[in-house]
Order: sequence, then C-alpha cells, then structure tokens
Amino acid sequence: MKHIVIFCLSALGFLCLALAMQRHQEDLFGKELARKPTLLLRMAGWAALLAALAAAVETMGLSLGLVSYSGHLSAGAAVVALSLVARERLAGRAR
Amino acid sequence: MTQKTTAPKARGIRQTMSDLHIWAGLLAGWLLYAMFLTGTTAYFRDEISQWMRPELPAQHQVPDAGATAQRVVDTLQQEAPSSPQWSFTLPDARNNVVSAFWRIPNIQGRRGFQSAIFDPASGEKLHARDTNGGDFFYRFHFNFYYIPVLWGRWLAGLCAMFMLVAIISGVITHKKIFIDFFTFRWGKGQRSWLDAHNMLSVFGLPFHLMITYSGLVTLMLLYMPWGGDAAFKTPAQRQAALAQMSAFRQPARPTGESAPLASIADIVREGQQHWGPDGVGQVIIANPGDAAARVTLVQNRAERVSISPHTMVFDGVTGKLDSVRDSASAAAETRGVLYGLHLGNFADVVTRWLYFLVSLAGTAMVGTGLVLWTVKRRAKLPDPQRPHFGFRLVERLNITAIGGLSIAMTVFLWANRLLPVDAAHRAAGEIDIFFIAWGASLLHAVLRPAKRAWVEQLWCAAALLALTPVLNALTTSRPLWKSIAQGDWVFAGLELTLLALAAAHAWLAIRTMRHKPKPARKPARRAQPGAEGHAQEQVTA
Amino acid sequence: MNSILTTARHVGPLVSRIVAAVLGGYALAALASVAAVALPLGKPDAVMTGMLASFLVYALAVVWVFAARSAWRAWVGLAVAAIPLLAAAAAVWTGAAA
Repeated sequence: MKHIVIFCLSALGFLCLALAMQRHQEDLFGKELARKPTLLLRMAGWAALLAALAAAVETMGLSLGLVSYSGHLSAGAAVVALSLVARERLAGRAR
Repeated sequence: MTQKTTAPKARGIRQTMSDLHIWAGLLAGWLLYAMFLTGTTAYFRDEISQWMRPELPAQHQVPDAGATAQRVVDTLQQEAPSSPQWSFTLPDARNNVVSAFWRIPNIQGRRGFQSAIFDPASGEKLHARDTNGGDFFYRFHFNFYYIPVLWGRWLAGLCAMFMLVAIISGVITHKKIFIDFFTFRWGKGQRSWLDAHNMLSVFGLPFHLMITYSGLVTLMLLYMPWGGDAAFKTPAQRQAALAQMSAFRQPARPTGESAPLASIADIVREGQQHWGPDGVGQVIIANPGDAAARVTLVQNRAERVSISPHTMVFDGVTGKLDSVRDSASAAAETRGVLYGLHLGNFADVVTRWLYFLVSLAGTAMVGTGLVLWTVKRRAKLPDPQRPHFGFRLVERLNITAIGGLSIAMTVFLWANRLLPVDAAHRAAGEIDIFFIAWGASLLHAVLRPAKRAWVEQLWCAAALLALTPVLNALTTSRPLWKSIAQGDWVFAGLELTLLALAAAHAWLAIRTMRHKPKPARKPARRAQPGAEGHAQEQVTA
Repeated sequence: MNSILTTARHVGPLVSRIVAAVLGGYALAALASVAAVALPLGKPDAVMTGMLASFLVYALAVVWVFAARSAWRAWVGLAVAAIPLLAAAAAVWTGAAA
C-alpha cells in the first residue's frame, strides 16, 4: 500500500512539472498557459514530490525510505515521460 | 553553432566532455553492457537459483533457524571435523538452501576452502542437480570468467571507472538536462536514439551514479590498498581495521584440548531473541570441538541497508554470550551503506523490482549508447555500403554484446534443464555452454550482413525466452500454470518475466526489420536554431 | 621523417592526456588515499575515508585532464593538486601523522 502511495505521488508530481513546461502545454492544450496556472502547476508538482518523500520516510524509516523514494522517482518520471510520448504518437496518427 | 573560418577556436567544455563521454562509453561499453545485464539479473539470483534446482520444492515457510543450524553443524562434524573454521548461511524468504564453506586445515589462501550446498530440512548435502544457479551471473558481473579472479576484478574496476567518467562527462555535456527532461522524438533516427539514451540516463541518474561508485567501493581494498599499507604496521592493526568491515576473523590458536560444541540451536535462538525471528543470517564457528571454540552469529543482511557486520560472539563450549557488536564507526558505516546499496540485500519485493527495472534501464542506457555510436557514424560514412574497419568492428561487437548476451543467458537456463541431472561437472558444463552460445553469436554477427544479424539474433533470443516455460513444462513437474495455481511466485514470476523479455526482444526485432536508415546529412549543412541546434550541439564530433 | 614528426605532433598531446588521465589520475587518487591517513580520525576510519574518496579524486582528475586547454596544462594541474597531498602523505609515510 505504501508503495502505491509513494509511486502515485511521484508520478503526479512529475506530471504537474511536465505540464508546467511550455513544450508540453502546447502539445496538450494547444497553447501556452498563463503565468498563474503554470506557477500553480509547478508548485503542485514539487509539493507532490516532497509529499512522496515524506510518505516514504514516514513508512519505511530514513535509509530504506530514501532508497525506495529514489526508485519510485525514476519509475514515476519514466511513466509520465512514456505516457507523453505515447500520447504524442497517437495524436500524430489521428491527424 | 556556426563554424568560424578564422583561426581554430578552442573547443568548448561541452564539446570536449562529449568526446570524452563517447570514447569512455565506447571503449568500455561492451563489457559494461555485460556487467549491467548480469548485475541486473543478480538482483534475483536467489530466485534464479531456486528455478535452476527444480527438485527442491517451493519454500512456503522459512524453516526453523535453530533446528536448521543444528542439523548443518551435525553434518559438518561428520564432513569436516578437523576444520579450524566452519561458516554457513541460513535460509530466508528468498533463499531455500544453506550455503556452507569451511577451511581445510594447513592449507592457506583460496585453495584452503571447501564449500557445499546443504538441504535445510535434512542438514545434509543437497540432492539436487549440480548447478551454480543465479550465482553464475552474480559472479560473472565482477569476476568475469576463465580468467584469474584478480584480473577479472581489475578489469571490472577499470570499466567502472570508465563508467564514472562517462556519467560525469555526460552530465556536463547535456546542458539542457532539465529542459529536455521529458523529450522523446519518435522515428527521427539518430535524434530518437539520442533521446532514448538521454531519458534512460537521466531518469536513472541517482541509481547509475550510486551503482557505479558503490561498485568501486565493494572492491576498494583491492584497488586502493596504499592507505592501509602506509597506516598499518602490524598484522594486529590490520586485523582490527578489517574487523570493522567483515565478520570473519582468523580463528584463534586451538588449545588442543577437545571439548564438545555447545548447542548451536540454543545459540541461534538467543540470536533470534536479540535480532528477531528472521534476524540470524550466518553462523561462523571457529575451532569446533576444541576448548577454544567460538561461535559468531551475523545479522541477516535483509534487515538494514548497511552491510557493516552486526555480530554476537559466544563461547563455543559453554554457549555463553561474550560480546555483541551492533554498531560501526562512521567510515565503516558509510562503506557499509554504499556496499549495501549496491547489493540491495535489504530490499523488499517492490523495492527489489524497482532496483531490477532501473538497473535494466541502465543496461538499455549502455546499449542505446553503443547503437547510437554506429547510427551517428553511419550517417557520416563516405560510402555506406563499405564502411571502414573500425565501424564494422563496433557494429559486430554491438550485435554480439547485446543480442548475443541475451541468447547466451537464456541458453544457460536451457542447459540447466537439458543437461542430464547426474552428469559429471554439469555446473561447469552449463557455464561452458553459455560461452559457446555467446561465441556462436559472435561468429554469426561476423558472417551475416549487420542488419540481418541484428534481426536474426533478436528473434533467436525472443524465441528462446518465450519457449523456456515450455521447456520447463516438458522437463520438470512444475509447469507455469501449476506454479501460478499453487502460488509459487518464484517459479511463476521468473517464467512470466522471461515471457515479457521475449516480447521486448520481438518488438526490437520487428522495429529493426522495418528500419530504413535515414539519408545521410550533408556535411556542409549549417545547424538550424532551436531543436536542430540542440541536437547538432550534442552530435557534432 | 617529416610525416612521422607531423603525426607525432597531432597524436602526441592526445597520448599525453591519456597517460595523464589513466596513470596520472590513478597516482593522484592513490596519493590522496595515503594523505587521508593524516586526517584526525582513528587510523582505520582515516584509511577507509581515503579509500572511499579516492575514486572521486580519480574521476575528477580524468575530467580535468580532458577539460584542460592543453596537455601541458593537464599535467601541471595534476602536479599542483599533488603538492599538498604529497606533503600530507610524506607525514604519513614517516610515521609522524597522528
């Protein structure tokens, strides 16, 4: 259970950070977002990543938590990146 | 980046670091790929070993530690009564056998040891097929094979240093590391390969850096003995330092007066009271049967990240607890943590799978790097039909290192199932067959046109992987469907993973078959601003 | 004869850098691991610290050698880094260090 929480927070964090980037905003929303939503997304992203760290250390102790967190960060980032790639491919085919 | 036609400009740091990264990566890449892939599988070496000893039933419950230890000791008293030191590990959740080794009296050095695998239930030598199991991949990872162990470790260390330099130079050269964090441009030839290589590198960066540095740390006594040589003038000083790092001591001089060994079961139970029911990992007995006998219990490594030894030392005759060590100095603990991070012994199931996946990504990072080299160079060849020798060499070595290794590792599993169970030297035979398969892959890669060789080897690997569960069903009484039905997740998990890997190889084979090389870029073309400029920066040689 | 000299002039600096990186870097790292024994820690801890840090020294030395603007500067940089380490290591070798 704890692993699911840590992973989901990590993936959510990277998703928000990705959406706060101009390149991905143009891909997903068709245009660059205004400053405020971008800032909120970036803050939400970092907050989720920090929450994932807190969850990991809280449930597994400092050393085991840090190791597990590091693994979930890699996995979360990879899932978000691959989803963006897959989405781009599908969108490209539909055109 | 425009080219000036005036006096040659000093090359920027990113350019030199790019060159350094490419050369360091290429020279060590084939060995690094093998180290990475075998290291990745080593995270599940206990499970692979179980699969390779199908005669042993699935372990649904870890046997009682005290009783197991006593049985093993009783056997050792028959097997090696005059040995000055016995040592054995206890079975745990992942490992269903006892690994023992003991010193042969009066012979020093590496030849002074004998080892065997024992059955925890009977305490006797194991009646299962003779095999190295997953330990072959584990040991190959840092010793290689057929060469003296010391040479293998120096070679592995050299490759690890190349890797460390490649990581540092790679980070320096990748200036848009955050901007490009999620970038992947599909179907764009060289740029796609670069994006894939970048993603695999960046996402796993904490792991790759940790695994490389900690790998060097595991063998640091070999690579950097100079400080110790300068600081320790007497063997006693040296022993005291080593005691911080290992639970093994030279056994003390025996008194010559015989005395029966205390109850090991009771000693182990006392250890369980201190460290928990799964807490005792290893038992070391010095001078068994002598009045000076000592029993050392070592804590199970699955309990903490650091592998610095936590021990309990008992008098071997009275069974009384002498000393407890539950901590280590700061430097020893640092080394212990780094070493422990590398091995990942502490990892629970999910964390172990994360280790496996990120390590696999690291393997793919090395592989994509190697392929990227040829993709990049092919675009610059004056005549793509007749590449120069260096290019051909790299291309064939790539096929052998990548395609060939997948084939060889799977053939190793096949040999385990196909070699007669009671054949002499079958453990060594399985390994020889592994290398024969790898050699065949090299020959094939040299004789066939490059693209065909890639496709054929990838398909061969995919087929072998996919058929392994079938082979298992035909040669043992533990087919996949039965393992799933009975909840035997060691067997089922391994075979399902093989099927997933088969699918991955098939996907790669199909993509390679469909691949048409991009037309060569005109060398005089200037870089365009924006995305092109970025790629040009990374790619200019 | 002339072409040999020309080749040497092109390849020489590169070979020099490679030697500096592979061998010089190792020497610097080994020196650092001995110098670490002079640290105010217990002997075993100082020795271990030296070993643990040595690989970082080696890697940074290699990066320096190739980042330096010339092969000559690469060697000079290594030598400059070696001086304080040599001083500490000498103290260790003569047994004067704590």
